[in-house]
Amino acid sequence: MKRIVVIAAFVACLAAVLAASEAVSERWFEDVTKQAGINSRHSNRIFDNPYANIMAGYTALGASATVADYDGDGYEDVFVTDSKIDGKNHLYHNNHNFTFTDVAEKAGIANGNDENDATADALWFDFNNDGKPDLLVVRFGHNQLFQNMGNGRFKDVSKQAGIDAYKNAITAVAFDYDRDGYLDLFVGSYFAPVNIFKPESPRFFPESFETANNGGGLTVYHNNGNGTFTNVTEKIGMKTSGWVLDLGHADADNDGFDDLYVACDFGTDRFFHNNGNGTFTDITEKAIGFDSKKGMNVDWADYDNDGLLDIYVTNITDDYMREGNFLWHNNGNLTFTDVSRETGTSETGWGWGAKFFDYDNDGWLDLYVVNGWVSAGKDSYVPDIFAMVIKPGIDFADARNWPPMGNKSLSGYEKKKLFHNEKGQVFKDEAKRHGVDSVRDGRGIAIADFDNDGRLDMFVANANGEPYLYRNTMPLQNHWVDFVLEGTKSNRTAVGAQVRLTAGGATRLQFISGGNSFAGQSSSRVHFGLGDAAKVDQIEVRWPAGEREVFTGITVDKIQKIVEGSGKRKS
Amino acid sequence: MRSRRHVILGLLLAAAPVLAGPGDDAFEKGEQALASRDFGSAVSQLQQAVEADPDSIRNASEYRQAVLRQTVAAHPREGAVADFDKEIAFFEKVVGAHPNSANAYLNFGFAYVDKIPAAGSITQVIMANTALTQFTKAIDLKPTWIALYTRGNSYLYWPKIFGRAGLGVADLERAYAMQKAEPKKSYHVRVYISLGDGYWKTENLDKAKAIWKEGVAQFPDSQPLKDRLARQGDDLDTYINNVLDPNKRVDTDLKELWRQ
Repeated sequence: MKRIVVIAAFVACLAAVLAASEAVSERWFEDVTKQAGINSRHSNRIFDNPYANIMAGYTALGASATVADYDGDGYEDVFVTDSKIDGKNHLYHNNHNFTFTDVAEKAGIANGNDENDATADALWFDFNNDGKPDLLVVRFGHNQLFQNMGNGRFKDVSKQAGIDAYKNAITAVAFDYDRDGYLDLFVGSYFAPVNIFKPESPRFFPESFETANNGGGLTVYHNNGNGTFTNVTEKIGMKTSGWVLDLGHADADNDGFDDLYVACDFGTDRFFHNNGNGTFTDITEKAIGFDSKKGMNVDWADYDNDGLLDIYVTNITDDYMREGNFLWHNNGNLTFTDVSRETGTSETGWGWGAKFFDYDNDGWLDLYVVNGWVSAGKDSYVPDIFAMVIKPGIDFADARNWPPMGNKSLSGYEKKKLFHNEKGQVFKDEAKRHGVDSVRDGRGIAIADFDNDGRLDMFVANANGEPYLYRNTMPLQNHWVDFVLEGTKSNRTAVGAQVRLTAGGATRLQFISGGNSFAGQSSSRVHFGLGDAAKVDQIEVRWPAGEREVFTGITVDKIQKIVEGSGKRKS
Repeated sequence: MRSRRHVILGLLLAAAPVLAGPGDDAFEKGEQALASRDFGSAVSQLQQAVEADPDSIRNASEYRQAVLRQTVAAHPREGAVADFDKEIAFFEKVVGAHPNSANAYLNFGFAYVDKIPAAGSITQVIMANTALTQFTKAIDLKPTWIALYTRGNSYLYWPKIFGRAGLGVADLERAYAMQKAEPKKSYHVRVYISLGDGYWKTENLDKAKAIWKEGVAQFPDSQPLKDRLARQGDDLDTYINNVLDPNKRVDTDLKELWRQ
């Protein structure tokens, strides 16, 4: 009898262990933030001016994460920002074992905050085409451009580069719009260029909730190829004054020139078509129509594998403001159709960063979306803000008319979404299953394969909180391949290159972005999930300079370097 | 937040001979133009009908429908903001010229309701609030069943966080008391439905079910009442939230009233 009891107990324990391990295997992301040593907390800037208590509610920004292999050791590193007055930015060097060491001080890039500047975002881009990623620190105040010296140290070249004019910048992307072989810089600013640390007038808030045109707009710096830039915004037809929150570039019509989507808070998003002659045309009305939503994020990807790049834009969706996001399906004729409702990607709360990536290597791009504005006390700020909104004749531009948020919450404690792509038709939220449905106030997402195992990991920057580093632990079943592209005639990091991979009877399109998605920059490696296809037939690369080359003999489950000019040229 | 489909205005309309008031000639011409989809003429004629009889809900309702059909024909989906703005400006002029006409304010409020789907999410709130202001002016001048029902029902469309559902219940209870004191009319079913929705929204489920049951006893063929009573828990929540979704265009065509 005793033996039977022991056996029964053993069986019960075994069953429990098996059940637990099954549950673990169902969860494909593991929160490794603390053990990776990458858990420094972000803090919002607290202003010291007459409008500080009002501004506090509208500047819960500046948490960002940007990825690059800055030292060329083959492992992706990550730069993470802080915003408080004495907050240090972090350069987390990848130790090759899923731990990181903050080397920002040693590298000379930690000091991004002071009484006149607050870090809002960052961007890695090789402005001098020397093959080493340089770093732009995007700030409310003056941006910082750091040249990568190649010895683990960076040199501040902001002034000599000509990009240090006062901007309340919040986002930036870099791509070679005129195909001269150098990356140009596109900076989006939120507030107009007034000193928000010591404002001379209270009228620096958005003049409208839906059609505001008194924001910071867009600034385009043409790369002169000699370490300097020239502001060409008006010259190339891109003058705007919206409350820009994000920029996203890609070639919408496959004409070889990248176009630009500008997401604006408090007003209309803009779509600029690249004319191919060094200028752009605002084709917003034709391409996407005039919206009045709160554009927060832009990411481009071919989610339905039809060979055309689509666009995902987050907006605000809550009980009190039901905007819905945009999933702009590319119609192929420079027009887009919003299919967010049809695909189940419309409602993600107060949306922020969103990024396409294939987390299960099934060949279809999935989508992670972070959200949440301010998670504070149990009282809601919604009635306060709407009490202001419905006051007749109210001057929204006057900060004094906006109610202080205090310890109230606004669209706080929202659960993040991990949308699994169901063969390009609909998306299914798997965030809870994979343990990535946190309720912190998410801002930026950076996707990278930090341990080079072929599974894409996620870093999430949260406002006023610790970040998350999620390690992808999916069972190794599907095949994959990564490409590191190097331009010779094109810009060296091949930003803008399109790669069409054919395997298993299907052709899929990816491209190298120069920093798309809000407060985040993902790996510049081109990653393809291959499903069960163990062989790649070929890849076709359309380089930023315009030439097409075909490469064969690709090995799967491996990271490979592709150099411009080494493939079979295709006319 | 908005008034809803088939807001019944029969108290006023049923009491008046359909073609015996000022502006009837223009109304008839406008109706003919509307039937032949000559929206430009319809808008013009029906505007004249409203000017001739600013207290007529019938004339105003048809004018609003003409504007709506015209703008949606030209601008699919929700129409053009500018077209609704013209309509609002017209009604603003009407109430300015007839400040003691309760129904003129009611019509003015409906014009804001019609514009809501074409507006941005924040402007929608401003529109909805302005509509409520006009409905309140109408009630201050003449607290009719229809005005109370309209404002009470509109309150129910506001998200819970604004705490306006209780105000809606108060209006609807007044409308309920009024209809109990008069002979039964077909449109009275609307108060049974909305008052129950108001109780549901203020978390008085028992009272909601009681009023819906009373409504079914009075109107056994009412599908909306039967639908509510057939549902429980989350299913009921989803159903009513869908009904009271402020993002959906509310059909403010009141034709049914004078055609019953």
